[in-house]
Amino acid sequence: MVVPGEKIRCHPSIIVERSLSGVVLLAFLVTRFEGTPVAAVLLAAIVALLLFYYRQWKLTTIRFNEAEIVVERDTLFKMKKTLPYTKIASVNVNRGIINRLFGTSRLQININSGSSATVPEAVLTFRRDLADELRSTISEHLYGQEIAPDEDKAVEPLVSFSPVDVIIHGLFSVSTYQTFVGSLFLAYSVFELYTSMGTGFGADGKALISLLIFVAVQVGPSISLILRYYNYRVYRRGETIYLEHGLLRTYKTSFEVSRVNAIRVKQTLIARLMHRSCIEAEVVGLASGSGESLRPILCLLKDDATQQRLLEELVPEFVDGHARERQPEEAKGVLLVRAAIASLVLVLAAAYPSVYVYRETAAIPGIAGTVLPFALPLATAAAALAICYATYVSYRVTEFGTGADLFSFVNGAVDRETVVMNYDKVQMVRITQGPVARLFGVARGRVYLLSAVGGASVSSGYFAGSRLAAIGETVMERIASGEYDWRKNSV
Amino acid sequence: MTYPGLVSRRTPADEGSPASGTNSAANGYRRLNWKCMLSMYIGHATLYLLLLAAYILVRSHAQGFLGFYYEPVMYAFTVLLAIVLVYTMAAPPVFYVRYRYRITDDRIDVRSGVLVLRHILVPIERVHQVEISRGPINSILGLAEVTITTAGGVATLSYLEVEEAERVAELLNSLVGRMLRERLSATPASLSGPAGD
Repeated sequence: MVVPGEKIRCHPSIIVERSLSGVVLLAFLVTRFEGTPVAAVLLAAIVALLLFYYRQWKLTTIRFNEAEIVVERDTLFKMKKTLPYTKIASVNVNRGIINRLFGTSRLQININSGSSATVPEAVLTFRRDLADELRSTISEHLYGQEIAPDEDKAVEPLVSFSPVDVIIHGLFSVSTYQTFVGSLFLAYSVFELYTSMGTGFGADGKALISLLIFVAVQVGPSISLILRYYNYRVYRRGETIYLEHGLLRTYKTSFEVSRVNAIRVKQTLIARLMHRSCIEAEVVGLASGSGESLRPILCLLKDDATQQRLLEELVPEFVDGHARERQPEEAKGVLLVRAAIASLVLVLAAAYPSVYVYRETAAIPGIAGTVLPFALPLATAAAALAICYATYVSYRVTEFGTGADLFSFVNGAVDRETVVMNYDKVQMVRITQGPVARLFGVARGRVYLLSAVGGASVSSGYFAGSRLAAIGETVMERIASGEYDWRKNSV
Repeated sequence: MTYPGLVSRRTPADEGSPASGTNSAANGYRRLNWKCMLSMYIGHATLYLLLLAAYILVRSHAQGFLGFYYEPVMYAFTVLLAIVLVYTMAAPPVFYVRYRYRITDDRIDVRSGVLVLRHILVPIERVHQVEISRGPINSILGLAEVTITTAGGVATLSYLEVEEAERVAELLNSLVGRMLRERLSATPASLSGPAGD
C-alpha cells in the first residue's frame, strides 16, 4: 500500500532492465579483445555502467500525491517531473522477460502531448502487485473507477480472439506493399540459390542478404505482431476501453473513449479477399516506448460482421451510419491525367535503359537473347497498366461522407482504410487544388488531428471544394453553437 | 469586441476573390506587402545558385560515376534548371497576388499557392502556440513569419511586416487568452478536472 506523499523507489531490477543491453554489448566486446588492455577498460566500463544505473536508482524517488505524481532524480543531472492526474492520458502496465524473472511490472505513464506522444513520460518498475495497485489508484483518478488487480480477468470480453486469429492478424495485417517487397527479395534469394546450384558454385552473399531482407521486411514484423497480440482481449467498462495482450511481454492498456480522436478500419489486400478487417484507434498518450506500433488495436483481423459488431459495441460514438459519396465524375479526369503523367514519366525513365539493354542482349543466343531485349519494355508496359488499374480502383473506392457528429474518408486502391473522425477532434483543415484539379473543379482535403504518434493528417480523394470546406465550417459551427464541449475534447 | 484593421467579426466561409491593393480588407482578407516578392526572389536566387553549382559539379566530375546514365542525367538536369528558373522568376508575383489571410474572432483563414492553391482553416479554439520568426533575408527587409501551432499541425503566415506579425501574434494570444478566461469564469471549480479536485 502506497501512502500519498510517501517517497518510494522503483524495484532494484530496473538497474538490470536499463543496463542489460549495454552490459551485453560490452561483454561481447570483452570476448573479442580478450587478453588485451582494451578488455580491462571494457570491464571497467561495465562496472561503471552498473554503478551509474545503481546510483540513478538509489537517487530517484517517486511520490504519488493527491493531485499529481512527482518523479525526482537527485543525480548530477537533477530532474523533477510533476505529472498532474488531470494531464495524464493513460497509465499502462506491461511485463517483459526480465520483469517476469524478478516478479515485477513496468508502469508507463503517458500525458496528453503531441510533442512527446511517442515516448512515455515516466517508465517505472515496481513489484507486480504494487504496479497493479498503483495502476488501479491512478485509474481511479483518471476515469473515476478503480481496477481491482484480479478484476480484469472476470470481465467478459466483447469478442474472443483465438490463437488462429492472432496468427492470421500477424501474417495478413502487414501492408501489401511490404509483403510485395518482401516476396521480391525472397524470390531473388530463391533464384540466386537455384542458379548457384545449377552452375555448381556455392551461392554468394547476395542470396543470404536477400533472405535476410525478406526476414526483416516480412517475417520479422509478422512474428512481432503475433507475439505482441497473443492472448488478445478487449473490453469496455463505462467510458474506459481496456486492452490486454502479449506473449513474451504482456501489455495492459486503458484509455478513455473521449481520448479517441479517430477510428481506422483497415483491410490489406489479402484480408479483403478473406473478408476480414481490423480496427485501430488514434489515441494520444499510449506510447509503449518499445518502438512497436503506437496505435492501439481495438480488433484484430476478424470477419467483417464481427468487426462491425465490435465497433458498434466498443466505440458506438464512432458509428452513426452516415452515407458516403463516391468521387464526382470530374475526379476521373484528374486521376486520368495523373495516371497519364505517371506512365509517361515511367516510359521516359525506362526508354534509355531499354535501348541499352536491347543493344547489349540482342546478340545473346538462345531463349535469353529472345526474352531479355524486350524484358524492360514489357516490365514498363506492365507497370503502366498497373498504374491505370490502380487509378480505376482508386476512383471506384475513394469515398467521403459527412454526418451530424462524424465524417469519414475511405482511401486505398490496394490496402483499404476507412477513417471515421469526430468534428470536435479536428485541429486544422487544409484544402488544396493543383492545376489539373482546378481545371476539373475539384480539390483534395487534408484534416489534421492529434494522433498516437503526435500530429497526423488524413487525406481525402478529389471532391468539390465546397463539399470539403463543409468539414471546417461544421467544426466552426460546433464551436460557435456550444455543441463542442471543450471539457471533453481539450488536449 | 472589434479588432480594427486586422481582424473581422465571425464571417461565413466564402470563395470570394481578395480585395485589390495592399492590406485592403474586402471580405476581411488582408494581403502581403510587396516586399515579400523581394524576399522570395532573394531566397529563390540563393537556392538557384546552389542548384547551378551542383549542376557544374556533376557536369565536370560525375561522368565516370554515372557511366552511360551521364547523358540522360545531364539532359534531365538542364531541363530541371530551366523549369526552376522559370518558377523562380514567375512564382513571387503569383504568390503575392494569390496570398491572403484573414483572422476573425473564431478562426484563422489562409489562402495561398502558386501552382497548387491551398486554403487553410485553423479554429482559434485549437491554437496552442504562436511564434514569430525572422530569417536573415526577412530581417533585412523587415519581414517576419508567424507560426501557429495546434495539437495536430502547424499553419504559417509568411512574409508579414514585422509590426503586422507582432500585431497578429498579440491578437492571437489575446483571443486565446480571452477564450481561456471565459472558460475559467464559466467553469465551477469542481469541473476544472476529473482529479485533484
